[in-house]
Amino acid sequence: MSNKRKKFDKLLQIITYASSSIGVLILSLIVIFVIKNGVGLINWDLITNDYHAQFYNGGIDEVTTFSNTSRPINLDDEDVYSEKWGIALRDGLDREGKPIVEVTYIAEDSPLNLMYDKNNLDNADFEIEVENVISSIKFDNKPSALSLYGAEYMINELDAENQFREIVFSSLGGGIRGSLITTLYTIGLTLIIALPIGIFSAIYLNEFAKKNFVTRVIRSMIEMLTGVPSIIFGLMGLAVFVPLTTRYTPADGANLLSGSLTLAVILLPIIIRSTEESLKVIPDDFRFASLALGANNSQTTFKVVLPSALPGILTATLLAIGRVIGESAALIFAIGTTIKDDISIFGKSTTLAVHIWSLLTDEPANIELASTISIIILIIVLVLNISVKLLSKKYLKRV
Amino acid sequence: MKKTKQWFKNLRNNFHFNSKKEIVDFFVRLVFLISTIISASFIIIIIAFIAREGIKPFVTDNNGLGAVNLFRFLSGRVWLTGTTFQSNLYSVGFIIINTLYVALLSLLISMPIGVLTALFIAKIAPKKLSSIMRTVIELLAAIPSIVYGLFGAGVILPFVYNFAKTLGIQSPGGNSVLATVVVLSLMILPTITALSEVAIRSVGKDIEHGSLALGATKTQTHFKVILTSAKSGIFSAAILGIGRALGEATAVSLVAGNAQNGPSFGIFQTTSTLTSTMLQGLKETIGLDYDIRFSVGIVLMIVILITNMVLNYVKKKVGNVNVK
Repeated sequence: MSNKRKKFDKLLQIITYASSSIGVLILSLIVIFVIKNGVGLINWDLITNDYHAQFYNGGIDEVTTFSNTSRPINLDDEDVYSEKWGIALRDGLDREGKPIVEVTYIAEDSPLNLMYDKNNLDNADFEIEVENVISSIKFDNKPSALSLYGAEYMINELDAENQFREIVFSSLGGGIRGSLITTLYTIGLTLIIALPIGIFSAIYLNEFAKKNFVTRVIRSMIEMLTGVPSIIFGLMGLAVFVPLTTRYTPADGANLLSGSLTLAVILLPIIIRSTEESLKVIPDDFRFASLALGANNSQTTFKVVLPSALPGILTATLLAIGRVIGESAALIFAIGTTIKDDISIFGKSTTLAVHIWSLLTDEPANIELASTISIIILIIVLVLNISVKLLSKKYLKRV
Repeated sequence: MKKTKQWFKNLRNNFHFNSKKEIVDFFVRLVFLISTIISASFIIIIIAFIAREGIKPFVTDNNGLGAVNLFRFLSGRVWLTGTTFQSNLYSVGFIIINTLYVALLSLLISMPIGVLTALFIAKIAPKKLSSIMRTVIELLAAIPSIVYGLFGAGVILPFVYNFAKTLGIQSPGGNSVLATVVVLSLMILPTITALSEVAIRSVGKDIEHGSLALGATKTQTHFKVILTSAKSGIFSAAILGIGRALGEATAVSLVAGNAQNGPSFGIFQTTSTLTSTMLQGLKETIGLDYDIRFSVGIVLMIVILITNMVLNYVKKKVGNVNVK
């Protein structure tokens, strides 16, 4: 081998190493990006909180006894404490990155516990809590203390007075509880619709259908669905399922049910193919043995073939769940882009993926919260993929 | 109960069933058949309903706005002339060109990278490294497109913006042809790699051995013999990749910039694709501005179909070294 040849070969090899490192680079960049931006917001409250903040106006009768709890030692330096009112505030950022004033501590003997709901006088559970966000404190005799002046100003203004007109405060919004529940509903509904149809079709095609022209046409028609871009499925959902559901259910406009039906169509070819693959590896001996014992075709199918195909069906289900969680384009049309907290099957709402899209198309885009949701989606999708891999390794080899 | 029994009896007489078991068998078969017909019919439902909605703007007078001119629609260079809700002067001509342009550019980027990575995984890498690389590609394929969109909006847009700035060009937030092409190439890379790897793997061992026996080095064999033999499979990978690039929606809509006229060929110009156009202005639910989205959908399907046909024709012409 000439020296020149050797050098050239080496160069070509290095090029292949370099190309494959690009894939690794992209994956790590994506992971690092979402973790760097999103990990700050990850906590349990994000998952359980509503997206839309709930606003309250708290009024108070004449205050006679003030708090005399001294500053608790577990407060940070950033917390500004008012001994008179028994409340600690802190400057913080909400999930959109805007400055807010947060309540970090309320003393047990704080007069603020006596506040009543100005909008609903019968509301007995009304109270200001830690983690609430104070937007303004209004006084009778001077301008309001707004949150944009900061926590310290607010406390100073409050300390100077013996009475205030009202405190406007809210829960911290931006949570993803609604979208999370929608996603779970959508997964459930979609699987209920798509799994039976998909599995039955796979069984028919593999066990019953004659190998003739019609079967070939049917097969290629199902195969064609895989090539359709998901946005076209979205249009189909808009044209077929949205009118259908609005006519026969209380829904008006795109809703969770129409979204699930659309997703079910997307999933059909995946489920059919995966189930068929697992049916194909079942040896014909099983079927013949069952038939020879006097079982008829449907008995053989349900009692012999289907149980052996279970791992394949499970794989299909996991793949389907992954697809539902990641799907965005079709759902933007078929389920709507309105982020909701009260979820109903016949109402508009967003799955996690569409939630990200809504956040990114807002002005200004909320990259942090979108990244946090992406972390959740990525973890679920990766876990699903790994389980599919392990499943097929364990079961498909055995038969 | 009695009625059901009678009904079964009639059925048995009519269809010559011998036992109840056979009736059950018959119904099970029927259910399976119906499921299959449902599954198969969706492709027709999709085409029929989108066609029905999409043709409306061209044949009705759209509540007084007048029918959209098909020729103008397919050849124009401005998305909408006039104001929304008051004009029927829609055109997608430039958007079709934009869509094909960005798809082809992204194919040009990810094709060499994907094929070389596939060659690396299938032939060059040590066994352990190759299984790691395969997992990496599988994970990339599993990442949902919205996350690619987020990555595009959070990383690629600022990068393009700064890059343009150093060249002295003002780019609107980085939304540009370049950003779109980069995001699309990231997204089709795993598809192309995985399919090319299968193609490379299926090249016969005897061809490889033959080349080695003739005195070619391993690297020569990989590049000159194996890649040539896997040509047709690699071409199929490219066809699937470009199909994905043409149909990709959410990620593209976040980085394209939704240009309202064009076509845009400069890499720092904003652009728009058929899919991103469908996703803009979702607020309307009725009237021409709603229906026109279905027309764009039809155009998208036809563009994908024609691209596939052309590429398949080219694949046949380029030919296949007989590998069998």
